[in-house]
Amino acid sequence: MMPPSSSPPLPPDDLSRRQFLARTGAGVAGLLLGPGVLLESCSPADSATRHIRGGLRGPDHAVGHLLRTPGRLPAPSQELSTDILIVGGGVAGLAARRELARQGHAPLLLELEARPGGNSASGQSAVSAYPWGAHYLPVPDERNHELLAFLRESGVITGFDAASGLPVYNEYHLCHDPEERLLLHGHWQQGLVPEVGVPAADREQMARFFKLVDGLKHARGTDGRDAFAIPLDQSSADPQFRRLDQLTFAAYLDQHGFTSPYLRWYLDYGCRDDYGATAAQVSAWAGLHYFAARKGRAHNATASDVLTWPEGNGFLAEQLRGQGTGTILSHTVACQLRETPQGVEVLAYDATARRTMRIRARQVLLAIPQFVAQHLLSGVAGAPVAAQPLQHAPWLVANLTVTELPQGQGQPLCWDNVGYGGASVGYVNANHQQLAQYADGPKVITLYWPLTDAPPAQARREAYQTTYSEWLPRILAELEYLHPGATPFVQRVEAWVWGHGMVAPTPGYLWGPERAALSRPVRQRIFFAHSDYSGMSIFEEAFYQGLRAAHAMVVPV
Amino acid sequence: MGNAAVEAPVAAPPDAPRRGTARQEAQSVLLLGSVFVIATCGLIYELIAGTLASYLLGDSVTQFSTIIGAYLFSMGVGSWLSRYLGGPLLKWFIRLEILVGLVGGFSAPLLFVLFEYVASFRLILYALVGLTGILVGLEIPLLMRILENRFEFKDLVSKVFTVDYIGALLASLIFPLVLVPQLGLMRTALLFGALNVVVAAVALYRFPETRPYRRSFAGLMAAALLALAVTFGYAGRIQRYTETLAFQDQVIYAKSTIYQRIVLTKNQRELRLFLNGNLQFSSRDEYRYHEALVHPAMQALPQARRVLVLGGGDGLAVRELLKYPHLTQIRLVDLDGGMTDLFRQNELLTALNQQSLRNPRVEVINGDAYQWVRQDTTRYDCLIVDFPDPANYSIGKLYSAAFYQELHRLLAPGGKLVVQSTSPYVARQSFWCIAHTLRAAGFHTIPYHCYVPSFGEWGYVLAGENGHWRPDAGPLPPGLRYVTPVTIRQMLDFPPDMAEVPTDINQLNNQALVRYFEEDWGPYAQ
Repeated sequence: MMPPSSSPPLPPDDLSRRQFLARTGAGVAGLLLGPGVLLESCSPADSATRHIRGGLRGPDHAVGHLLRTPGRLPAPSQELSTDILIVGGGVAGLAARRELARQGHAPLLLELEARPGGNSASGQSAVSAYPWGAHYLPVPDERNHELLAFLRESGVITGFDAASGLPVYNEYHLCHDPEERLLLHGHWQQGLVPEVGVPAADREQMARFFKLVDGLKHARGTDGRDAFAIPLDQSSADPQFRRLDQLTFAAYLDQHGFTSPYLRWYLDYGCRDDYGATAAQVSAWAGLHYFAARKGRAHNATASDVLTWPEGNGFLAEQLRGQGTGTILSHTVACQLRETPQGVEVLAYDATARRTMRIRARQVLLAIPQFVAQHLLSGVAGAPVAAQPLQHAPWLVANLTVTELPQGQGQPLCWDNVGYGGASVGYVNANHQQLAQYADGPKVITLYWPLTDAPPAQARREAYQTTYSEWLPRILAELEYLHPGATPFVQRVEAWVWGHGMVAPTPGYLWGPERAALSRPVRQRIFFAHSDYSGMSIFEEAFYQGLRAAHAMVVPV
Repeated sequence: MGNAAVEAPVAAPPDAPRRGTARQEAQSVLLLGSVFVIATCGLIYELIAGTLASYLLGDSVTQFSTIIGAYLFSMGVGSWLSRYLGGPLLKWFIRLEILVGLVGGFSAPLLFVLFEYVASFRLILYALVGLTGILVGLEIPLLMRILENRFEFKDLVSKVFTVDYIGALLASLIFPLVLVPQLGLMRTALLFGALNVVVAAVALYRFPETRPYRRSFAGLMAAALLALAVTFGYAGRIQRYTETLAFQDQVIYAKSTIYQRIVLTKNQRELRLFLNGNLQFSSRDEYRYHEALVHPAMQALPQARRVLVLGGGDGLAVRELLKYPHLTQIRLVDLDGGMTDLFRQNELLTALNQQSLRNPRVEVINGDAYQWVRQDTTRYDCLIVDFPDPANYSIGKLYSAAFYQELHRLLAPGGKLVVQSTSPYVARQSFWCIAHTLRAAGFHTIPYHCYVPSFGEWGYVLAGENGHWRPDAGPLPPGLRYVTPVTIRQMLDFPPDMAEVPTDINQLNNQALVRYFEEDWGPYAQ
């Protein structure tokens, strides 16, 4: 589901979340959110949920907001100098750090949170490790050599088959069977494409759609490149494909007569799952990319197989960290950046030691979301500026510890469990990769919920205003939709709001002029790496952006 | 508690006409008839509780004895409590009969259903026995007080107790001969519950003094009868729902551990073990299964010192291994401590496994096999893999190529591995899938099978780093009842209906085996 980008998001507007809450007060917030929420928060459901422990978590806003008020920083009390400085320890930043290490560099990295990882953040309880964000990597295209080399070094690939040359994946890291199920018409069916009880006309449309994307999977442009590739910069420049970035996926589907509600639900689910946005919000090129770009091959897996770990992509982030060198300063935020004759100077605040440091570097890599980078660069001449803000999707991720899950009819518990027509995009069983003979014990399930009911800015504002006691009944209602009667078995519910969860590939962004311009280095001193510059928040893109930036940095001017 | 005043409506006024006396006599007969019916019902409930307790908890002598004791004592409590009942006694009697009918009638269905889901089943059982006993104990004293003015005391006592004991005799005869075989425990309880309510109904309509409250009681009775009748109709379904009666033989032990439900049944000839309702062995022919599991591998390993047994918490494979004096260490890893404890302590079972789990050469570890194997660094000369059939995804992982690769790492040079591999006749694809998966994990494999009457044709796969193995490689231990060099040789032959079929390799990311197993056994599960 939610693939990674790097560094944690910050609230959007001029008001911080705390300030906003302080000004409005809970009553006003309730009115803003509408009567449904008021009913929920006052409902007698409290007695049924009193046994549930947990709380609301999120990226470190308190530290992050210092970025907005650099004037309030204490005077610098420490001077540091480094050859290369990386701001942001998400996947792009960590991938760049790893690549720079391979070239003999040991950059200094600043990370806002306690641990690097960005959207690949994870947690750990007595029951299981669990993801807070991105949690899987599809079996990659075997032509993606850099990614394969990383996976080989991480033990995810154990070797290459002598006969075919294809990678052999570590069976413990390949998602175990059974992988996916869908609750449709009160019955759990195998797989996520609606099948059981679906009318023949709808099935016919689905078959037509899958035939179409299968054709696109193998399609090549006039330049000989794949029509859809990962990293997406490897895709063909042929206008017959790039044209698809100009309209929404929903409009494209309408034009091609794909009207079946079952098919449209499935495609919308796919867009929400991968981009945090609906088919009406993302471009047709992006919508088709989801299906046509996955063509991984392996000796012991297929293109539809995925790699996953109990802690999700936290595993990969940790591998990236371990394969790099150089100091990582956590709880540290870069607040101000200016150019000097020798390179750049960054003022950073260390929230643990409560002091400001002045860091001088020859080069800096901003591996942070585009809107944060833009803020940091406000005083730098010639820095790229987005004509209008990129669209970032807000997400809610909830980790629920359950002693058991009352199962409905049909397919037993899978790794990915989705309800047809649900508000969330379902949950993943963090204990799925365990090898225990007895699998009925307590488990952690991770519920993913792209907040797509309102436009992103509004949904984000509402999400920031929603308290834990308001989220809890909504989360439990979503659980009850999938497993009626499950509430008494819930022990803990921890929720995390990602205000800027991931960039949405809205029409025109992927192949318009702006995307490339935003990531263009400034005077070979300031570089950019983030999945925002791909337009798709997936591990492969963040990894690619990190590599791309690292290669650009070590090229002599 | 003015008895006379209270009972005035029942006692015949001295100047009553002759018709009244005849009617009174009819009423007396009716009341004595009620004594007969309620006595029968009372004993039936007692017998049901005793039978149920020995069915569900095993050890029939203790169960019957304690149930009867508790029941009789509760009846005493009921009799003592009867003195506190005042007011219109007939009304009390009608109330009581409806209550006895409901409590007694629903006792068996309730106990069957609760058995599966309640940790403190005994508490509920004895609470229900106590409640039924108290209610039944109230009946006779109350009836005697109702009849007290119609007979002389000596007649009253003689008549009531005669009828009471005849009822008991009838109950004790029809219960085993007619009721249990024809109706089963659940329907019997419900039927006799209904009889209690009918007694109440007769009393309600044959005595004029009940007129003021007839209407309110009639509704109650109709509801009670309806509930009993509906449950009677669904008794079959409830019974199927509670697996306990699925066993054809007497259950002598039943326990739910956190991992599984262990049930031991017994008849004159054999002891059977069921895990989650699946037969694990019958004492009559388990030697065939376990000799075939252990000896083809072990006879070829005269130098073997260390053996690891995975699964097999019954200690029966270990019993066979202990026949090789050159083995110095036998390590058994079984998930369920409830299982290994049972086979260390229960006398019937230790007689069967010859105390194998208490042998000093044997180390029992309760843990998850996969986790254990991944962290183990010991090298074993022989690995005996005796897991349950791959009927679900969790167990399917213990038959995967990844798991077999872990086992490969634990095998000493020249060592052998044997895997119980379900039935090559019924589950042909599953059997060959296991063989092919072992091969994919780098083993040289020798599939074989034998006939175990309780199971049918059963299969095993012997595996090693190389094909160095002969059916007559070394001496077999004395006293085997099935395995000889000749039988081993026969076990290697697969007739066409069990011959090798192509299959996928069972991997964690395809669980091919669980799918084959469902396909293969599906038609038999109907």
